[in-house]
Amino acid sequence: MIFWQDPQFGNRLITMMAALVLVLQILMVAQRSIVGNIRGFGIQSFLLASIAATIAYFNHATQVYIVAALTLVFKAIVLPLILEQLVERIQIRQEIEPFLNAPLSVIVSGLLTLVAYIVAESLHRPEQGTAQTSLGHNTLAVALALFLIGFFMMLNRRKALTQILGLLSLENGLFLAAISLTYGMPLLIELGITFDLLVAVLVLGVLVYRIRETFDSMDVSKLSRLRG
Amino acid sequence: MLLPTILIVPLAAGALSFVARRRRLMESVNLVAFAALFILAVALVGQVLRAGVISGWNGFLHADSLSALVVLLTAFVGLVCSIYAVGYFREDERNQVFEGGSAGAIAVSTLRKYYALTPLFVFSMLLVALADNLGVMWVALEATTLTSVFLVTFYGRATSLEAAWKYAIIGGVGLSMALLGTILTYYSAHNILATETLASLNWSVLVTHAAQFDKTTMKLAFILILLGYGTKAGVAPMHTWKPDAYSEAPVPAAAILSSATLNCALYGLVRFYVLASRCLDGNYPGRLLLLFGVLSMGISVPFVLIQRNFRRLLAYHTIDHAGIMVTALGVGGPLGAFGLTLHMTFHTVAKSLLFLCAGTVFQHFRTDLFGKIKGGAIRLLPFAGTVFFMATLAIVGTPPFSLFQSEFVILRAAFTAGHYVSAVLFVVFGVGIFAGAVLHVGGLVLGPSEPGPVAPWYPWRDSAVLLSTAVLVVMGFWLPTPMFDLVRSAAGIVSGAQ
Repeated sequence: MIFWQDPQFGNRLITMMAALVLVLQILMVAQRSIVGNIRGFGIQSFLLASIAATIAYFNHATQVYIVAALTLVFKAIVLPLILEQLVERIQIRQEIEPFLNAPLSVIVSGLLTLVAYIVAESLHRPEQGTAQTSLGHNTLAVALALFLIGFFMMLNRRKALTQILGLLSLENGLFLAAISLTYGMPLLIELGITFDLLVAVLVLGVLVYRIRETFDSMDVSKLSRLRG
Repeated sequence: MLLPTILIVPLAAGALSFVARRRRLMESVNLVAFAALFILAVALVGQVLRAGVISGWNGFLHADSLSALVVLLTAFVGLVCSIYAVGYFREDERNQVFEGGSAGAIAVSTLRKYYALTPLFVFSMLLVALADNLGVMWVALEATTLTSVFLVTFYGRATSLEAAWKYAIIGGVGLSMALLGTILTYYSAHNILATETLASLNWSVLVTHAAQFDKTTMKLAFILILLGYGTKAGVAPMHTWKPDAYSEAPVPAAAILSSATLNCALYGLVRFYVLASRCLDGNYPGRLLLLFGVLSMGISVPFVLIQRNFRRLLAYHTIDHAGIMVTALGVGGPLGAFGLTLHMTFHTVAKSLLFLCAGTVFQHFRTDLFGKIKGGAIRLLPFAGTVFFMATLAIVGTPPFSLFQSEFVILRAAFTAGHYVSAVLFVVFGVGIFAGAVLHVGGLVLGPSEPGPVAPWYPWRDSAVLLSTAVLVVMGFWLPTPMFDLVRSAAGIVSGAQ
């Protein structure tokens, strides 16, 4: 068997790409430039699209190709473009000011990854250990790690725009979970989720723009007039 | 044909209002659409009572009695609010409160936001109730947030932006948890159904196989769903967006958010609860629900007691009632489920009515702070003031009003099922809410007033309030048989008897 037909090779390829996605996520936590963060998200989405395409190839699942194409177009190209344009339009200082400093943030991310592995382990069922489930196993841990780190990114950041980026990378974790557990949700639902995500980014983008205009700042810790 | 029509009517109304150039046209489109929608919803209830379950578009849409109940309540609130909105926004225009003044063109483009987004908002809520597929249901729930964000920013104040940001971000995070829960549910069923078609996420398919789902995965999935849809329902501790969004949105939108949207979020939770309680034993989801339900009731008490703003008071009140309904679901069994569906019905009518009355008071005094109104609203606003006080008594569960009955059913269910701690806390928190709400609203409505002219009969706003009041009062004494059958049969679906 030639290596590109060997499912074992496919598994290794996917595991490697998933690992890269995780590394990128932790880099984004430590990264201070907003544009760098947006590009990081773009590359991450590109890797996810590649994972989806690899899964489609080794399982001969045509519909997963469409999911991969959707991810490539919307998450890897359209959303980063929209966000970069937004950054340009509101002319903010190009720096993220997290609450925790970079080394501490990376340590927290490491701990969250550990938690994700423990949870993924409990969901793993070796008695059904066909080639298919073992493929899902490692990636599920990465997906949960992305989800948790995305959460942490949102909590750790003051600026409205960078919170959107946290939400997006959290959503990337969900995508990875769906694709690794079940080879993607049914196509119609993937479509719906992508559409919702696109609209959500537009809605949040408009809000960021107006918050910037009204408060002359994007620092969400200044949004504190409503209390009690 | 009925199910697609129910969805198309609001969708078309939204599109029409979007292109309309005149205020009067937008108003009539909304009025006609919501009146038609209500008639269609009544027809749906009739069909569901006769046939049990109906479906459309090859099983994509699915209506059982629980969906029919949610659709009926949504359509009712939509109708009442569309009548109220006409008067409310005309008054706003007279008071010149729109962003950038209220010269004709600005007013129309501001109003377009409300009249085009509200039907779309209602459309997504109806899709939540009618979609059989749990993935589509998630997409629709996310759409309810996205369509209502710009209703919260309607007045364009700095505080509206703050409220909208919290609403969108907290809602977005919550719903992403719910999506992970949905994915895990799909996964736990995946090995059994072994198909990758759309139907494998259909609730009506899943529910027949739920007992064989993977238990560990389902446990995790249910926690995530509870946190996710709980956020959307405003269950503590994920409730912080609620008072802000409700007090910043225009009053008719706040009325829809606090009653119909709450129902939709709970509806999503109920669908997963049925799956989880068939897969695990009822104790696991039940205990979790009780914890969050009682916590929500408890958290709202101090905020109701010290509240200075009456729209925020109503919002905390909604958190309390979300807690009551989640508790009812957690108690479970036929009686708990019956308490839930009954309470959902009564709460929808009473809470939307309260918001509308509060809106009239707010527009008259131009403030929503208790401290700035000396009292005696009943003299200056004889009708709205009376109804405001009466509806407050109703919603805190005073007999003879209907919410007393449903809360009593839930309490009895809790004692029967042996959840003594929850039941006692239910009563204690209930007393706290009663004291807070009656004291505050009583002070606002009764007592001596500042001198001033007595308000006339406001044709649009007061008619909407009158319609809703009539329903509330009649329901206190007599629930029509078909309505009672619907509520009972919806409870059967919640408790898994059907």
